[in-house]
Amino acid sequence: MIQIMNWFSMAIGLIPLNRQESQSNVVLDYAMMSLVPVFYLGCYFLINLRHVFGLCFLDSCNSVCRLSNTLFMHLGAFLYLTVTLMSLYRRKEFFLQFDERLNAIDAVIQKCRRVAEMDRVKVTAVKHSVAYHFTWLFLFCVFAFALYYDIRALYLTFGNYAFIPFMVSSFPYLAGSIIQGEFIYHVSVISQRFEQINTLFEKINQEARHRHAPLTVFDIESEGKKQERKNLTPATAMDARTATFGNEQKLSGEMKRQTPQKNEEDEMDTSNDEDEDDFDYDNATIAENTGNTSEANLPDLFKLHDKILSLSVITNREFGPQCVPYMAACFVVSIFGIFLETKVNFIVSGKSRLLDYVTYLYVIWSFTTMVVAYIVLRLCCNANNHSKQSAMIVHEIMQKKPAFMLSNDLFYNKMKSFTLQFLHWEGYFQFNGIGLFALDYTFIFSTVSAATSYLIVLLQFDMTAILRNEGLMS
Amino acid sequence: MPQVQSESSSESAVQPLLQQFQLLFYISKIAGILPQDLEKFRTKNVLEKSRNGMVYMLAMLIVYVLLYNVLIYSFGEEDRTLKASQSTLTFVIGLFLTYIGLIMMGTDQLTALRNQGRIGELYERIRQVDERLYREKCVVDNSRIGGRIRFMLIMTFLFELSILLATYIKLVDYTQWMSVLWIVSAIPTFINTLDKIWFAVSLYALKERFEAINQTLEELVATHEKFKRWLCGDQETSSRALDSSQPPEYDSNLEYLYKELGSLDMGSLKGSGRNKVAPVSHSMNSFGESIEASDKATHQAPPISVNMAHESELSNASKVEEKLNNLCQVHDEICEIGKAMNELWSYPILSLMAYGFLIFTAQLYFLYCATQFQSIPSLFRSAKNPFITVIALSYTSGKCVYLIYLSWKTSLASKRTGISLHKCGVVADDNLLFEIVNHLSLKLLNHSVDFSACGFFTLDMETLYGVSGGITSYLIILIQFNLAAQQAKEAIQTFNSLNDTASLVGAATEVDNVSSTLYDLVTTTMLTPTG
Repeated sequence: MIQIMNWFSMAIGLIPLNRQESQSNVVLDYAMMSLVPVFYLGCYFLINLRHVFGLCFLDSCNSVCRLSNTLFMHLGAFLYLTVTLMSLYRRKEFFLQFDERLNAIDAVIQKCRRVAEMDRVKVTAVKHSVAYHFTWLFLFCVFAFALYYDIRALYLTFGNYAFIPFMVSSFPYLAGSIIQGEFIYHVSVISQRFEQINTLFEKINQEARHRHAPLTVFDIESEGKKQERKNLTPATAMDARTATFGNEQKLSGEMKRQTPQKNEEDEMDTSNDEDEDDFDYDNATIAENTGNTSEANLPDLFKLHDKILSLSVITNREFGPQCVPYMAACFVVSIFGIFLETKVNFIVSGKSRLLDYVTYLYVIWSFTTMVVAYIVLRLCCNANNHSKQSAMIVHEIMQKKPAFMLSNDLFYNKMKSFTLQFLHWEGYFQFNGIGLFALDYTFIFSTVSAATSYLIVLLQFDMTAILRNEGLMS
Repeated sequence: MPQVQSESSSESAVQPLLQQFQLLFYISKIAGILPQDLEKFRTKNVLEKSRNGMVYMLAMLIVYVLLYNVLIYSFGEEDRTLKASQSTLTFVIGLFLTYIGLIMMGTDQLTALRNQGRIGELYERIRQVDERLYREKCVVDNSRIGGRIRFMLIMTFLFELSILLATYIKLVDYTQWMSVLWIVSAIPTFINTLDKIWFAVSLYALKERFEAINQTLEELVATHEKFKRWLCGDQETSSRALDSSQPPEYDSNLEYLYKELGSLDMGSLKGSGRNKVAPVSHSMNSFGESIEASDKATHQAPPISVNMAHESELSNASKVEEKLNNLCQVHDEICEIGKAMNELWSYPILSLMAYGFLIFTAQLYFLYCATQFQSIPSLFRSAKNPFITVIALSYTSGKCVYLIYLSWKTSLASKRTGISLHKCGVVADDNLLFEIVNHLSLKLLNHSVDFSACGFFTLDMETLYGVSGGITSYLIILIQFNLAAQQAKEAIQTFNSLNDTASLVGAATEVDNVSSTLYDLVTTTMLTPTG
């Protein structure tokens, strides 16, 4: 489905052709991106300056119909032009950069999975749930219906020239939605990576749980403290290190003696010894000694978390500004959709075909854009929550006082540093539309409350006089 | 040129920020916005108190107020004739907003008088920060700020002149000589803008300082990564003998590692500290991918990495501790300066935001009134033309939005420092450094700089979102009331005409009855807005 969406957005000139290749023809890449807006502008000016093919210039179009159609057209123009300009401004570099960083992240994740023995448990291919397919199908149906409705009505009115009014009525909203679809795709990729990291963290957490009970019996804590004291003595760095290593050797030896007696849970860990040789972490020695593999991932995971967050900053910088006109258009269309439906369509439906068409168009597009906006908000919220969860899991690990943490100060400090850094990240970044609003569920609340107050004001407008003047009401 | 200057001696290394403000200072001195001493500024680039300046400024303020009152009086003539015909709502709004420009200007000037000593201190503190940053090999480039100021001044002149001229030519009756007074109407906004340029540019300078700190930290990370890569490469090529059991942590000092490696480069490195060029060039040849980046680093900060491209500062914990500590202290100092600056300008910003909100709403409302062919207050005649309205609105909103945007960005830049600091810790992967970083990071979490208008609301983009929602809803309500008032007025007119016809008929006793019932009807329609 993602592929179909990408092809489609290339076809209507929203993302560059060959966006994943750095070396390709510039003219070919951006041809579609410049042709379609020019075509759109041609249609827009043809209707607005020459007064032909416009719905609002037909005789059967009364004043209400004309007003709502004009509003719909200009709002669409605002949406499409801002979105297209930002897409043109974005160029290909973003996609290249995104892919490059994603590949780097994936490579590290793969490495971590190998270390954590996750590969054998789980297949690498991403399996989508039923909800995922259902959402795509639902979206596809909604868009197909919206487009079908608009094209059919326009075809009945204008015949073969229907594509000109179509360009100014439904097309901008379609284009805006597809750009949001791109945003959804990128955010979902990010969110997926967060999830993968979280499973890796969770694995470490579980191992810590298993190891916790037997290890405390053998007084690891006091050992760790002794070592801490040694670290604190004002010896030279070299001396401290050798002392640490001596200590670790002793400690690990003790643990190895205990492992066979402990329980069966460790069997899977001891079988991993072959794999341990091919990774070269700074703390590989520690991992080897304790016979515990996954926590060797921790430094890499911390770096990964940081990298994914910076990736989301880039993504948000590219797509956040495009969210603002889309959300604004969605808001206005929804309000006017409800207004027209309640004040006009309930009273005089069926009297004028064009009026019905326009009011239904409002309702259909308000529904479609709302669905897309909801998915955007939902995914952004999910990604935020996933990234927050990593910090929670790390705290959980720290609370359990696993052996690797107590035997080495470095791990403790690393984890503490990670959680502190996450606090900074939390203050710095959240998915947002250029800071105007955070893209999470609070946005829904604020828009709904704003929409209610506007609706209360709008519903007080007395339409009966106007409708009577148009001869729609007796 | 400032670069050359800065390299020559470390004491006068940093060029004071105020040097870039010269043009702005002269203009605002003439316009009477700043009371500070002109001569001192010209010779020493400092802002100092001056009694003459104060007197001049107060005189200018009084002159402005008088002129503005004359303007209101002379143009009020037109209003007086209109008062009877226009709706009360428009009239009251016009009355309220007559003096708001003047209030804004007065706030600006009086605050500038109050702050005249402290502004100088502020810039002195910024200069000290620059010096401290310079000592940490982090050079802040002030030269672009001058260009920024010039651009802002040009934009201000363009907007003011276009609004003034367009309104004067299209909407003012320029056959009378009194119409020249219309020029006075531009004074409050002009003075306010000049004052805000001071704030905006200083804020921008603070943001640049934050960004310079972040940049320094990220450069530390980048050089250390390169350094690590170099070390790894060296291990592979020159020493296979290195034990796999050896801890591959390069934390404490380089000497230790060089001892372990026992490679050819070591001799030249250990022998003399000055001769570090040789291994660098050697490693560059084998790992050519790092040449470009390190070249960039040397260009940006000439003093540090001229001769030791691959010696990372992060590998020496005690040395880097000092540096990180200093950077954090500078960060704290910048935050403090930001708070002080916000405090100095808090009342002007509050008045500007109030002005922006009210004028934006009023201008749009009057535009609506003008399209309905209703009369509007003469001071807001620019609303009669949609084109001029668009320019005026973009001017006012541009001022407000730019300030809000800049405050938001500065706040974000200050928050980013914590993240960059942690990156240093992660890349160095050293226990001691982690402890330092954790300690400093907690400190940074507590330094936050959030700009607010007198504490009423924070200056960030979410406020903008709220304000834009407020403007729309007020506008809709105002338009609704206007509609209701129009309907009421029509009802009165029909009643009057009915009354006339009735009196023509001449049945005096019946008319009384009819008129009283009609009067009831009219009052009820007036009191209950039918929408």
